[in-house]
Formats: sequence, C-alpha cells, structure tokens
Amino acid sequence: MNIITTVSEVELQGRFDAHEAEAFRELADNALQNSADLRVVLTAVDFVDSTALAELVRAMKRCREAGGDLTLVKPSAPVRVILELTKLDAAFTIV
Amino acid sequence: MTETDLTAYRQWATTPLQETPTYSVVIPAYNEEWRIIPTIGAIATHMCTLGKPWEMIVADDGSTDSTAQLVEDLELANLTLLRAKANGGKGSAVRRGIFESKGEVVLFADADQSTPIEQFGDLLAKLDDGYDVVVGSRAAVGADVASKSLSRTIFSFGLKTLVQTLFRIPVSDTQCGFKMFTADAAKLLFSRQVIDEFSFDLEILFLAKKFGLQTTEVPVTWIDAPGSKVDAAKVAVEFVKDLVAIRRNDHSGVYDKVNHDMSTSANLASTDSDSTDSDSSTSANSIPPASGQRAA
Repeated sequence: MNIITTVSEVELQGRFDAHEAEAFRELADNALQNSADLRVVLTAVDFVDSTALAELVRAMKRCREAGGDLTLVKPSAPVRVILELTKLDAAFTIV
Repeated sequence: MTETDLTAYRQWATTPLQETPTYSVVIPAYNEEWRIIPTIGAIATHMCTLGKPWEMIVADDGSTDSTAQLVEDLELANLTLLRAKANGGKGSAVRRGIFESKGEVVLFADADQSTPIEQFGDLLAKLDDGYDVVVGSRAAVGADVASKSLSRTIFSFGLKTLVQTLFRIPVSDTQCGFKMFTADAAKLLFSRQVIDEFSFDLEILFLAKKFGLQTTEVPVTWIDAPGSKVDAAKVAVEFVKDLVAIRRNDHSGVYDKVNHDMSTSANLASTDSDSTDSDSSTSANSIPPASGQRAA
C-alpha cells in the first residue's frame, strides 16, 4: 500500500473575522483529513480579527499534532502587521 | 499593498514624527482587549500607505481588562495612549483623544474596525471639498451593511426617524463610529459637548448645525462586529432622554459657553487628577509637540 501525502491549500479573500471563523474551521478540518500539512494563502485578506487568529492557531496545533504544519502564504501587509503586533509571526511558519 | 507599504509602517512604528501630523486617528476603547490589537494593526498599515505624517491616539476609557496594557506594550513610536481611571463614557474618551490630537484632520474610529479604515480617503475627499464634518453613514444610499442584527436595524431606523424629525440634522446615521473633522471643527465641537454617553455623536452633530459647520455623510461599508456593547433597548431609552436634554441645553445656553477647556484638560492630565477629563494621564509614546503646540 502506498500512502500519498498531499499538501492542502486554502485561499482566503477579504475580511477574515468571527463571522467567517466557523466556515474556516470546517474547511480546515476537512483539509486535514487528507493531509497534515495545510497552506493558508492570505494575500487577499485585508483584516483578521482575534477570532480568526484563534482559528489559525487551532488549525496550526491540529496540523502539528498530526505531524505536519500549517503555513501562512504571502500574508498581506495588514495581516503581517497584525501577526507581528500579536507576536504570532514567531509561532507560525510564514512564507 | 506592497513591501514599500510595510517599510512605511515600520518607519512609523519605530521613529517618532519630527513634524506636525497631517492626520490624527482617535480610537476610543473600553474593555477591548480582544479586539484592539488587530484594529491598531489594520489602521496603522493603511494610514502608512497615504504618504502623510499621522498619529494614532488610543483613548482608553477606564477599561477593567488589559486593553491599556496591551496597547502600551506595543511601544509604537507614534501611538499615544490616554488612560482614564474610571469609565467616563465613549464621548469623554473621544473628547480626550480629540483634545490630544495634533493633526489637521481628525478621525475617530471604533475599536472593532466595524467600519474598515480603507474608507478614510472617501471621507477625506469631502473635507477637501470644503466640509468641516464628514460622517460615515450606514443609512446613506450606497452603504453596505453586513451582519447587522434585527434589533440594531429596528433601533437604527427609529433613531433616524426621531433625529430627522426633531433636529433636521443633514445626515441619516448619527451613530456610526467613523467620523472625520477638521481640527478646528473638532476642537470647537468637543469643547461644547456635555453628553458623554451613547448620544454624544448626536450632540456633536447638533452642535455642528448650531455653529454653522458644513456637515455631510459618506456611505460606508460596515460589518457588525460580534461582541458589540450596545444594548439596543437600554440605549433607546437613554437616547430619547438625551434628545430632550440637548434641546433643553440649547435653550438654556449651555452650548454658548466652553464646557471643556483644552488647555485645562491638558494641564490636569499631567497632574493625574481625578476628574473625567483629567484622567488622560498616561502617554505611552508621545509625539514631541510642534512649535506653538501644547505638550502632551
């Protein structure tokens, strides 16, 4: 039997806040069924609130528990600044 | 948004302005530990793309959570934190921020980023057209309002009808927490203000009309941020009382005199007195005052 590991990628756009948190969680949980590695593209996200950050942290922990990682891909300038101000830039893998 | 924008942000975050800011952004905050940091990040990043010197003022309103400490710990070079010993109402927090501001243009914006800062330019364009006061509006044609609860929708409609009937203020949304002023207009209006609670916006707009300031509104995108502190039923009762109070104040001449003196406020601030205005005592990172301006 061959096990093929793929990296799932989720691309978000617009405002990622508490209103979108549940949808993101569902998306991330589904993606994690296929792979322990998840890439979240944040290039077109203009704002993340604390709930969204908490969801990203939750997804990261789930990835790492499964032996993979969550990677934030090309976060926009405001998202990068918010990650820095909350010091979460040190916690996430950002490319 | 580009790497250049990030560079501009990093410069703003680390190097105190040497010149008088063109823009001041005032953020009133009460128990906003869950929301304030992302809002500061979003506002700072956007404002740094505009290419003008600007300052941010967070006017804490006696938060009992860690809001003030979180803001102070950011150590941003051009962010001034104003602390209050007690909760004095949003109107008092905005006033302290306005009095502290040094910009030619002053915006106050809610701490929940419910009106995204990207709309700053839309309001600014109206000031450039000659208006003194520009109000972000969720009720104007073209506004985009998302996730607003039914109670808030009904409440807003009621307010709009009441206000337009009683005061004939030329805006359809008096309560949106996204308002821009010329510096002179802001300081005139907030020096006459007496209401510090929910209705302070209405009073300010009433005063703008009274003093003949040119006022207009701009439709905005607005997203109802979860965790709003507005209790629609309770606030509605207070609002109606304040409508009457504003009329009474006007007739009795309350608005014909200065009710809050900027210099007194600034002086008291440095002595850490106990009155509401005087509580603006802590400045985390104050911009050096320009020539002829008061010290923080």
